[in-house]
Amino acid sequence: MRWWALHLPLLSLEAFCATLPAEQTAEETARPVALVAAHRVAAVNGAAAVCGVRVDMKRATALALAADLLLAEASPVRDAAALRAVAHAVLAFTPSVTLHDAQTVLLEVQGSLRLFGGPAALQQRLLAALAPLGHRVQFAAAPTAVGAALLARWWPREVAGAVCAGADLLLGVHATDPAALQALLAAAPVWLLGPGREHWEALQGMGLHTLHDLQQLPRAGLARRFGTEVLDDLDRALGKRADPRRWLALPATFDSRLELFARAETTDQVLHGAGVLLLRLLAWAQARQARVGAFTLCMHHERQRRVLQPPTELAVALAEPSAELAHLQLLLRERLARMTLTAPTLELQLSCQHLVTGAVPNGELFPTHASQAEGLVRLLERLRARLGDDQVLRLQAVADHRPEHASRSVPAQGGRVSDSPDADTALAAASQAHGLLPLHRPAWLLPVPQALAEREAQPMLQGRPLQLLSGPERIETGWWDSEPAARDYYIAQTESGALVWVWHARLPSAEAGAQWFLQGRFA
Amino acid sequence: MTELLLPHEGVGELRLLAPLLAAVQAQQRCVMWFDPPAAPCAWALSALGLDLQRLVVLQARQALKGVARSRLPAPDVLWALEQALKSGHVGAVLAWLPARLPADALRRLQMAAQAHEGPAFLLRDAALRHHPSAAPLRLALASAGPDCLRVTVLKRRGPPQARPLELALPPVLSGPALARAQRVAAVPAAGLAQAAPASGGPALSR
Repeated sequence: MRWWALHLPLLSLEAFCATLPAEQTAEETARPVALVAAHRVAAVNGAAAVCGVRVDMKRATALALAADLLLAEASPVRDAAALRAVAHAVLAFTPSVTLHDAQTVLLEVQGSLRLFGGPAALQQRLLAALAPLGHRVQFAAAPTAVGAALLARWWPREVAGAVCAGADLLLGVHATDPAALQALLAAAPVWLLGPGREHWEALQGMGLHTLHDLQQLPRAGLARRFGTEVLDDLDRALGKRADPRRWLALPATFDSRLELFARAETTDQVLHGAGVLLLRLLAWAQARQARVGAFTLCMHHERQRRVLQPPTELAVALAEPSAELAHLQLLLRERLARMTLTAPTLELQLSCQHLVTGAVPNGELFPTHASQAEGLVRLLERLRARLGDDQVLRLQAVADHRPEHASRSVPAQGGRVSDSPDADTALAAASQAHGLLPLHRPAWLLPVPQALAEREAQPMLQGRPLQLLSGPERIETGWWDSEPAARDYYIAQTESGALVWVWHARLPSAEAGAQWFLQGRFA
Repeated sequence: MTELLLPHEGVGELRLLAPLLAAVQAQQRCVMWFDPPAAPCAWALSALGLDLQRLVVLQARQALKGVARSRLPAPDVLWALEQALKSGHVGAVLAWLPARLPADALRRLQMAAQAHEGPAFLLRDAALRHHPSAAPLRLALASAGPDCLRVTVLKRRGPPQARPLELALPPVLSGPALARAQRVAAVPAAGLAQAAPASGGPALSR
């Protein structure tokens, strides 16, 4: 059994800072921030600690010490969501993941070592997967679960391992076998044990500072004085007591909420909050070994004039499933830019039910047909996101003799549109049968036929008479529709020499309107 | 990037460009049209040899009662054009741009088209022939009779071309119709009198 523990000492602060707007996050490292629970300070960041704010101070004291302190309520729900995201990111590497307490994730990796090529490689990949989430992680390894959790939380400076340059991920101690674990834990302070924290002052008064001291004492006396929990925890840490764990179950659908600290009034602010949620979504999708096919962003607004506004839903469907943060952010940005927000947003909710499993297509070094097609799908997706689904179209030939119904525009989805080749062959056969040339239809059609003036029964376009050259071609169809067409079509030539397609109604219509209409131009 | 200047749509530009577009599509690459001036007819395009599966049309206009109104603002169309040229996944591009463009728009399109492998055509109004343009090749197209196209080279790399080219396009008219057209062109006055003003419309033989 090889247990790895990831301890996140600043989880609540980082989860809170994720809800701040983007421009504040840059100053957040300089600005003192403190979280308050039950009127006392629960967590402080570096800048606040420099000013002198400590845990368990009263609110007023903290404000007196640091005038520009940003105080906010601690939220266990928010912290739990952030911890779950970390657990999901880790689930991609091993199925045995469990939460130890509010700030530690435990994973058992003995079964995954061979697949990922050894503990060092697995550790590197794990920390690389956790890097985008932006948490400070303390890492430790041990043969027992509680032992690893204790070592990760302890983080003894003098025994420290290598520190990654400039990163928030600190590689901690590793205990390879129970004897080494025992030796390491011998110097660990007593407050590490969960139950030991309450009795810390009493133990200190008795002169018991480290776990080694605890182990020297008779067990019966310790149990009578401080309860059996201290002893049980110690036994589990040293491997003398069984420690069965329930593994974390991955939910089938993703649903995560983020309550923003300040109201989001612009698209950029919404995007910043949505970026955090997208990271969690991708961690969950990677744990499911799948890619995202579609997701929905729901924006909950504040009350306007005491009326609760319905939440705005934005559904983004991807033409090709993707697991790249940049692509999802781009699509979301383009869709948000086209929307107008009715009211400031207070809370964001991201949900996803549509996942696509399957092999990820390989990236190609040189462009091939497959990568070109995939790139084209991405390009069309971006254009559709920015311009709208109805503006990016493909043409389809319809077997109808009426020219305005003969071609149809369908929105260009990703991939190819399965078109029936029968329409083309039907046209070819028909034109051969009547001895028509293949180009007897104009390339440009006016959607609504333009009425032409008439002089001496000759059609006129823009004041110039048209010369009728070829015709008539009678098209009389559509009696089953509400738009019957009975027309005689002619190819005419304008004075400049261009060819146009005009038609004349076969039966004189009731109203005394124009009889000649322009349908299209030959290009 | 090639700029084609037309007096109006429908002088034969598609018949001129169709073989090139069909060749691009035969290489499994996509052809994109940006903001065409009227609705393209699927039958005619497939008769010209284009593959409708590899053609994507960005419709920015909607003709309402014969007057085209812009549905998309011009900056969006220019952005889409630039994205398509920069992505490198599009084979050929045809763009009908509005008359008024920002000063640097053509320059940016020219730079994007240089990075793009494949032809890029801008089709604009012939009234702009005296406006400066960044395109290295500028052609003015005009109709020189039925099924005939006159191409005047306004700007190109190398020595200027003095005489315009007359190109024969794939025919739309049949033989007798073409003969009638030439007869009409020779005698325009008699051509007007030839058309019999019948109430049911003239019936001309093929």
